Amino acid sequence: MNSDISIVALSLQIALVATAVTLPLGILFAWLLVRKEFRGKFILDVLVSLPLALPPVVIGYSLLWFVGTNGWFGQMSESLFGSTLAFTWIAASLAAAIVSLPLVVRSFAAALSGVDPRLEVAARGLGAGTVRTFLTVTLPLAYRGVIAGVLLGFVRALSEFGATIVVAGNIPGRTQTVPSAIFTRISAGDTDAAWRLALASVVLGVIALAVHNWLLKRTSGNGVNGSDGNNR
Amino acid sequence: MISFDLQLNRPGFSLDVSGEFGNGITAVFGPSGAGKSSLLNCIAGSIRPSSGLIQIDETTLYSSGQNISLAPDKRRIGTVYQDGALFPHLNVRRNIEFGWKLIPESDRHLDPLELAEILGLSTLLDRMPSELSGGERQRVAIARALATSPKLLLLDEPLASLDAARRGSILNYLKLVHSEFEIPMVYVSHSISEVVSVASKAMLLRDGNVEGFDRPSALLLGAAAAGGDVDSFENILDGVIGDSTDHLTTIRVGDVEISTRHQNKIPGENVVISLGANQVILAATRPTGLSARNILKGSVTEIWSNQGKVFTEVDIGQKFIVELTENALNDLGVAVGNDVFLVFKSSSVDVFDA
Repeated sequence: MNSDISIVALSLQIALVATAVTLPLGILFAWLLVRKEFRGKFILDVLVSLPLALPPVVIGYSLLWFVGTNGWFGQMSESLFGSTLAFTWIAASLAAAIVSLPLVVRSFAAALSGVDPRLEVAARGLGAGTVRTFLTVTLPLAYRGVIAGVLLGFVRALSEFGATIVVAGNIPGRTQTVPSAIFTRISAGDTDAAWRLALASVVLGVIALAVHNWLLKRTSGNGVNGSDGNNR
Repeated sequence: MISFDLQLNRPGFSLDVSGEFGNGITAVFGPSGAGKSSLLNCIAGSIRPSSGLIQIDETTLYSSGQNISLAPDKRRIGTVYQDGALFPHLNVRRNIEFGWKLIPESDRHLDPLELAEILGLSTLLDRMPSELSGGERQRVAIARALATSPKLLLLDEPLASLDAARRGSILNYLKLVHSEFEIPMVYVSHSISEVVSVASKAMLLRDGNVEGFDRPSALLLGAAAAGGDVDSFENILDGVIGDSTDHLTTIRVGDVEISTRHQNKIPGENVVISLGANQVILAATRPTGLSARNILKGSVTEIWSNQGKVFTEVDIGQKFIVELTENALNDLGVAVGNDVFLVFKSSSVDVFDA
C-alpha cells in the first residue's frame, strides 16, 4: 500500500512537470498556428501533431537516442554533469510532455480560435503590445479552454507508458510510474496489486476528465468566449 | 492631418489610394469591397500595405521607402468598430480605461469618467458589455477609443448594426465629441446618407481606387452610380422639442420650426429628426390649401442630376437634401439661387432621442 502511494506520487510528479513543460510550449505553438501566418507553418503543424501519429515506443526510442550518450544533448549533459538524463524521472517527464503536446496544442488552438481576433486588433489599437494583448484579452477569454487543455495533457501524461518505459525504464522508486508498475505486477501475476493501481488510474482519470468537460461546457455556454454572437 | 499614398495587393483585390484628411470629419464611403476597411486597417496598422507612405502630422506611420512600419499600439489612432468590439470580460469602466491606462500620464488629456459622462454612460459603468444595447456599446467603444487621446479617430461602419433610432443618437454624439475635443475623424460607411449629415468632406472609393474626394453632397450622385445606398437618403438633423398640442409637436431645428406628430417629450429636450429626401415636395411658389403641416422657405444651393434622378440641396437655415425626378425639376424650372418651398407632412418626420 505504501509503495502504491509512492508510485502514484511519482506519477503525479512526472505528469506535473510534463504539464509545466507543455503549457508554455503549447500556448506558443497554438498561438502561432491560430493567429500567425508564416513560412513553415505547415511543418510546425505536422511536427506538433506527429507524436499523435507515432507509436509511443518510437518517441521513447528517439528521445533515448537524443538524451543518451550518442545524442549531442546527452553528450553535453554527460560532460557537464557527468550523467545523462536517460533512465531518470526527468526523461519520463520529457517523454510524457512530448506525447501529450499534440493534445494540449489542439485544445489550446480550439480555445484561442474561439476568441474574436478583432478584440485583439482593438487591444493593439488601444496601445497594448502583443504580449499584453495576449495576457489581458486573449488569455482571459480563452482561459477555460486553456485549463481544459492542461487537464487533458495532464491525464495523457499520467497514462503515458510506451515512450516512458523506453527512455526512463521501469525502476521502482525512481522511474516506475503507475502504468509501468501495473505492467510489472501483471507480468509477475500479482493481479490484486495490479488492480489497485488500475483503480487509482481510473479515479484520477475520471476526476480530471469530469473537470475538463465541465470547463468546456462553461466555455461554450456563458458568453464570455466571444464567439457566441453576444457582442455582435 | 493625415496624408497617405498607399498600395495594397492581395489576390483578387488591389487598393491604390492617396489623399489628405484634415481636422474635420472625413467620410470614406463606397460599396462593399471598394477597399474602405482595407484603407482604415492600413492607417490603423492592422494591415501592412504593399508599398506607400502614411503620415500623421509630422510622424511617419508607414513608409515602404524608409522601411518604417509603426506597430498599431504605437500609432495613437483610436478605432471604433462596427459592433463596438468591446472586451466581453471587462465591465464598461474597465473597457473605457483599457487604453487610457496604457498611455503615459502626460498624454492623458481626456478623463475616462468625463468621457463616460459626455457619452451618457455614467450609470452603466459597472455593466458588462453583454448587458448593453447596441447603441450603448457603440458609445462605450467611442469613449474607449477617445480615452487614449488619439491623434485620429477611425470609425468603421459605426452605425451598421444599429436601428434608425440609435443611429441618429450616435451621430449626434459623434458631432458632439468632434466639437468638444477637436479630434479629426475618419468615418467609413457604405451609406452616403449617413455620411452627408456628419462629414465635411468625403472620399468615394470604388474597386480600390479613389473615385471622388469632395463635399459629401457633391458626391451623392457618384454614390448612386457606384451602387451606394442613395435610395434611402435621410436628412438627419438636431432639434429641440418645443410646444405640443394634442396631435402635434413643434421641434426647433436651428432657426426653423418643424411640425411633427405628437411626441411624449418635455419642451427643451434634445432630439434628432430624420426626414427622407424623397418625402419632401419642392414648390416654386408658396402653396396654399394643403394638408401638409410643414411649408418652409429656402433657397437652392446645389443641384445634381444623373440618370433621371435629381438631388437638390436647399438652405433653409439648415441644409436639406430633396430628391426629385428630372422631369419634375424641369417642370418646376428652379435653378441654383432660386427661392423654393419645402413641403412635407408632419408624419414624414421621425423623431429620436438625442
